[in-house]
Amino acid sequence: MKLVLLLRLAARNVARNARRSTLTALAMVIGLALLVFSRALADGGHEDWIRGAVRLGDGHVVLESPAFARSRDLADRLTPGALAAAERALAAPALRPLLVAAAPRLEVAALATAAAAAVPVAAVGVDPAAEARFSTLPGKLTEGRFLAPDDRGAAYVGDRLARRLGLHVGSRFVVSAQGADGQIADQLLRVVGVFRTGLPDADEGLIQVPLATARQWLGTGAAATAVALLLRDSHDVDRAAAALGAALAGRRDVAALSWRAAMPELDSAVKLDDDGDYLMHGILFAIIGLAIVNTMLMSVLNRSREFGILRALGLTRGQTGAIVFGEGLLLTAASGLVGLALGAGATWLLFRHGLDYSALMKGNITMAGAVISPIIVPILGPAQLLQSLAYIAAVGVLAALYPAYRATKLDLVEAMKFDA
Amino acid sequence: MTEHPWWRIGRRSLGRNRRRTVITALGLAFGYFAVVVLIGMMLGIVSEMVESGTGIVSGQIQVHAADYLPDHSVYATIGGDAGTPVGPLLDSIAADPAVLAAAPRVYGGGLVSTGSATAAASLMGVDPAREVRVAQLATAIVAGRLPRPGERALALGAELARRIHARPGDTVVVVAPAADGSLGNDLYVVAGVFKSGVQPLDAGTALLPIGVLQTLMALGPDRIHEVAVKLADPYAAPGVAARLARRLPVAGALVQPWTVTSPELVEYAGMMRASNWIVLVVVFGMAIFGVANTLLMATYERRREFALLLALGAAPRHIVRTVVYEALAIGVVSLLAGAAVTVPVLVWWHRAPLDLGRLFSDFTLAGALVRPVLKTDDPGAWSYIAAAALLVTALAAAVVPAFRAARVPPADTLAGR
Repeated sequence: MKLVLLLRLAARNVARNARRSTLTALAMVIGLALLVFSRALADGGHEDWIRGAVRLGDGHVVLESPAFARSRDLADRLTPGALAAAERALAAPALRPLLVAAAPRLEVAALATAAAAAVPVAAVGVDPAAEARFSTLPGKLTEGRFLAPDDRGAAYVGDRLARRLGLHVGSRFVVSAQGADGQIADQLLRVVGVFRTGLPDADEGLIQVPLATARQWLGTGAAATAVALLLRDSHDVDRAAAALGAALAGRRDVAALSWRAAMPELDSAVKLDDDGDYLMHGILFAIIGLAIVNTMLMSVLNRSREFGILRALGLTRGQTGAIVFGEGLLLTAASGLVGLALGAGATWLLFRHGLDYSALMKGNITMAGAVISPIIVPILGPAQLLQSLAYIAAVGVLAALYPAYRATKLDLVEAMKFDA
Repeated sequence: MTEHPWWRIGRRSLGRNRRRTVITALGLAFGYFAVVVLIGMMLGIVSEMVESGTGIVSGQIQVHAADYLPDHSVYATIGGDAGTPVGPLLDSIAADPAVLAAAPRVYGGGLVSTGSATAAASLMGVDPAREVRVAQLATAIVAGRLPRPGERALALGAELARRIHARPGDTVVVVAPAADGSLGNDLYVVAGVFKSGVQPLDAGTALLPIGVLQTLMALGPDRIHEVAVKLADPYAAPGVAARLARRLPVAGALVQPWTVTSPELVEYAGMMRASNWIVLVVVFGMAIFGVANTLLMATYERRREFALLLALGAAPRHIVRTVVYEALAIGVVSLLAGAAVTVPVLVWWHRAPLDLGRLFSDFTLAGALVRPVLKTDDPGAWSYIAAAALLVTALAAAVVPAFRAARVPPADTLAGR
């Protein structure tokens, strides 16, 4: 018998019992819509964490000496030669469209001292013009102003650090660190601005100074410890890192590191959060699957007389099973499309400007070096949509198998004898 | 006591189609299992975070001078410029039955140098014998040992030690601004190296005996910045803190539980509670379809039976009742089955945590260290809330089928039309 005919029979069965079909399909439709929505929300949240963390930190990709990544020691800085090689690599045509900004940094662990206290800090020499494009830090200003390109001996400090050291805009304090020559070097700085990020580590332990001041203080010449790169899209990280890796092949003193490698904490947090979502989706699908099995099985057992007639008319066991399986497939396909449209449509219509859950969250919560934003803008990607569709299809197909198998096991004589 | 007939009919119809009952109950039981275990897991994560957030250094209660936070001024010692006798203060805190231990601390900042390499560090003066009973930091020694009281020695964070190439037995110089405005500096032996897992601590903290740090910073022996208190039950902290505050033998001191000093953690725990409700609603919301569908088909199958009952004089509300009872019976069966599986899994998973450390590294969340070790905590009231949600789900699923069953036209149905 032709497959088309079996499918037509299946389609008629689905249509004939509209209520049962609707209820079964509804479970799948709502399940899939929930899946699409929650994936979009999770992806949006993760993108937000990543973007927040890389813009406050070392970027999507950072160019630094492989030794520096481990030691954080000024001795493992990028020499002017390595810095020039990094700049040549950045000029590669493949990279230009991916890149938003590149910011050189000269970072050192220092002790900030004022009359009231001495606090260990990370002192970072930055190019104020590049930072203004790159970092969110200039926008976190609470007092004074951000660094200007011609500043000398200026400092941009976190508010908690300012409180601990008793500093205000215009106050002076001293930072001490080991310079390039191995000797302790002191530098007098004047506060030009105070920022507040909500991240305790940054607010209490970060000082930005002009790159020229840092180079002079530490005696490094035209060196940097890293060049931080901000990309247009977090998904381009691997592409950009690979392109840079190829351009820098053969150099031992500079390499490209993605944020995943540079911030393993954040990477771990994102992965763990994803796996938590997968677990929840698995549970949902198991419940949906059971509902589908149950409904289809009931419909098979209720229709034993109908299948008996089909068998008596010459259909084989396999063909009877195929009809049931076909019903499952049709239901799955239909509810897959409707669910996808519903999920994507509702997400876009209701939450394209972001889901605001600040009511649940009064202060701010930080995670693995990122401040969690109370507004999540969901991201709907075609890859995620297709994947969600594939999941629901798998559940539908698996759930149709057992009822189809039961239909093949029908005892013809018993079925025809049954008097409804 | 005789069983009500409608209840009996509802209950018995479960046995008519065992396979259907089993599959329906399976959906609900699995939903119950999933919800309770998932919530137990989330509570496990939260309690683990509270444990690490308060246990590694800060303790469940902290005592400071009223003006110490948030500035951490060197001068803001408990009891003002004169300080307070430390022994009696600790004794009065330790006298509370809820307190396991209390440890005094002095904080400073300085440069630690091996000669070839120098790094800035927070200096923490501790009483080693007391500190090991309060802070996990003091017991997380990976090489060497903690310095002894009065010994001119220190313990370095693992990352700090690595950056300045210091090993136990090496001598380091510590330079620190003192409370009298001078610059203190002295030589110390590295007694040991600790590794807490919290990056800022491991990369930037040195532990010194409290008296030794007081000498370096020109602070008298009565001047301390903090007393950290360890409790058996972190959630008792607010009550104990209030009790301690009334009894403290020193004026102008502030006693604060972790719920005040780490508001982020409290906030996160609140968010987890909200997400527990979301899990509950979503899972049972999906389970409704399975139950509703089955009941709808079961009632359709039995429309002749209902028609007969109606023809014999049963009121439609009796039919509604019997279908509702049937749903309730499915709910009870699923609940029993679900609980029978859930409880042993919860207990087992609580005792044998699942360590995912090979797949995920540690990270900090809401100021606390999260280790990827999954274990479940007693879900407490949540197991009852989930049980109630299961029964409500079963009842909600019965509404449409029950009213459909009650509206079966008796004459037509019995006539086979």
